[in-house]
Amino acid sequence: MLHHQLAWYIAGPVLGLCVVAIRLLLNERLGITGGYTEIVTGVARRSFALDWRGWFVIGLIAGSVAFTLVAGGPDFHGYGWLTTTFTGTARALIAPILLLAGVLIGFGAKTAGGCTSGNGLSGSAMFAPSSLAATATFFSTAIAVSFLIKAVA
Amino acid sequence: MARRATGAVVGAIFGVVLCWSGMTSPNVIRGALLLQHAYLFLFFASAVATAFVGLRLVRGTRALLTGETVGWTVKPPRRPQLVGAAIFGVGWAIADACPGPVATQLGQGRLWSLFTLSGIAIGITLFTRVERRPAPARHETLTAPASG
Repeated sequence: MLHHQLAWYIAGPVLGLCVVAIRLLLNERLGITGGYTEIVTGVARRSFALDWRGWFVIGLIAGSVAFTLVAGGPDFHGYGWLTTTFTGTARALIAPILLLAGVLIGFGAKTAGGCTSGNGLSGSAMFAPSSLAATATFFSTAIAVSFLIKAVA
Repeated sequence: MARRATGAVVGAIFGVVLCWSGMTSPNVIRGALLLQHAYLFLFFASAVATAFVGLRLVRGTRALLTGETVGWTVKPPRRPQLVGAAIFGVGWAIADACPGPVATQLGQGRLWSLFTLSGIAIGITLFTRVERRPAPARHETLTAPASG
C-alpha cells in the first residue's frame, strides 16, 4: 500500500459523523446491508430506481475507486489467509469458500436486522438493545471462528 | 433526488474511510479478530462513541431534508436475530470482510470480492424468499423497517 493507515481517532469519528449525517438529513439509520438489499431487489424486478440506501452503496464503491486513483491500490494479488492456505490448484477452492462466506454474511445480516454498520455502528450508537446484543454476538463469533481457522488452516 | 445524493455523498466518504483505515485488507480484519491489533476496536469504538453523542444532539430536531422530527425507537433482542448475528459472524471471519469492506474491495480492484458479493446477493435473496413465505412462526424482527 502506498499510504499509511489513517489514525483511528480520525477514521472512527468520521465514520460516526456519517451515521449522524444520515440521521440529521434523512432521519434514517445508516446501514449497508439495506443498500445491498435495495440493489438486489431492484435487479430482481429490473428496476434501477434505487432509494438512498442503494445510492449509499454506489457511493461506497465510487469513494473506494477515487481513493485508489489518488492513493494507489492495495496488493490485490492475495486474499488474506485464503491465498496463503490454498495454493497451486487448491486455489480454485477460494471461490466457493468466499461465495459461501458471502451467503452467510448476507443471510445472517438480514436475519440479525443489520450488519457491522446497521447493528454494530448505527444500532449500538442508538443504544438499541437488539443491536447491542447482535454486535456482541457477531464480534464474539467472528473472533472464535478466526481462532478456529488459525488452529486448523 | 436530494435523498439519493445524500446517500451517495455520505457513502463515498464512508468508502474513503474504509479504504484509508485498511478495512479493505483481509489481513487487517484478521489481525483484529485474532486480537493481534487494537486498531479495529479503537476505530469501531470511537465511531460508535461519536455517533452516540451526535445522535443525541440531533434527536428531537427537524430532519433537514425530510422535515420529520429526528427520532427512533429501540427493541429488545430476539433469539432469531442473535442466531442471524452468529451466522453473520462466521461469514465475516471466513471472508475477513463485512458488507462495507466487500464493496470497497471491489472499488479497489480486489476481484476476489466478486465471489463474496455474489454470495451476499444470494444470502439476501434467500432471506427475502423465506420472509415472503406465509409461515405461522413469523417473527417481528423479520419485518423490522431498517436493516444495515
